[in-house]
Amino acid sequence: MAISARDRIRIKLKEGDTTVRVLLAHPMHTGRGKNEQGELIPAQFIQDIRCWRNEIEVLTIKCGTATARNPYFSFQLAGGEAGDKIMIRWVDNLGAKGIAEAELL
Amino acid sequence: MTDKLNKHRRAFVKNAISASTLALVASSGLILPQRVLAHWPTDAFTADTVEDALLALLGQAEDISDEKVKFKVGSPPKYAVNGASVPVEIETALNNVQRIAILVDKNPNPLAMSMELSSDVRLPFKNMIKVAEESTIIAVIRADDKLYRTSRKIKVDIGGCA
Repeated sequence: MAISARDRIRIKLKEGDTTVRVLLAHPMHTGRGKNEQGELIPAQFIQDIRCWRNEIEVLTIKCGTATARNPYFSFQLAGGEAGDKIMIRWVDNLGAKGIAEAELL
Repeated sequence: MTDKLNKHRRAFVKNAISASTLALVASSGLILPQRVLAHWPTDAFTADTVEDALLALLGQAEDISDEKVKFKVGSPPKYAVNGASVPVEIETALNNVQRIAILVDKNPNPLAMSMELSSDVRLPFKNMIKVAEESTIIAVIRADDKLYRTSRKIKVDIGGCA
């Protein structure tokens, strides 16, 4: 199943540190929800999210089914300067993948 | 004669080392997707109880309860209208935070997420989780190889684990 909405990253320099906000577009089905016909929707959820800054891996997040739909994260990175590239990659349990990139202005 | 041989040997050793390093880098890039999936701790995420999940994830369930961890759940705090997306915010005065795990004790699978942080990452960390019913949300932090545990109770109007 294709996921049409796009993943978004916002990065901002604040008091010398980089604030990263990530919004991923994903339904995050737990496998317990039902559709309108009362049939179970098979589980589909993001399992692994990784974040790189300038090719250096800074954060790994492992998710279970209890992560909310369209996962949102926000965290800070020490330091940072204009031109820094932040990259996020995710993989879900069915093997679907996504990449999002942003550059610090 | 021996001098020349030695020189050649040097060059050969040098080349061999750089070639193997290159191969390593290339293969690590190529096998990334499999590695990503292989490292998902299935046992921890499918565990039915908080203790089982922590045992599977961290290898131990005993930890120190500590108030150095600032942990906010829900908005307004301790209350959520919709359990399908409950905001969680974690901040701590601890140094060298290596890992954070968030668990919801009444969810079918308590472990919601587990994060591995490099030294570059600073807190607060915010995100949204699903909470099935009124329950206790637990944050476990590993910092300097010690475990710290904090928990908050939360009321939920509409359960959100569908």
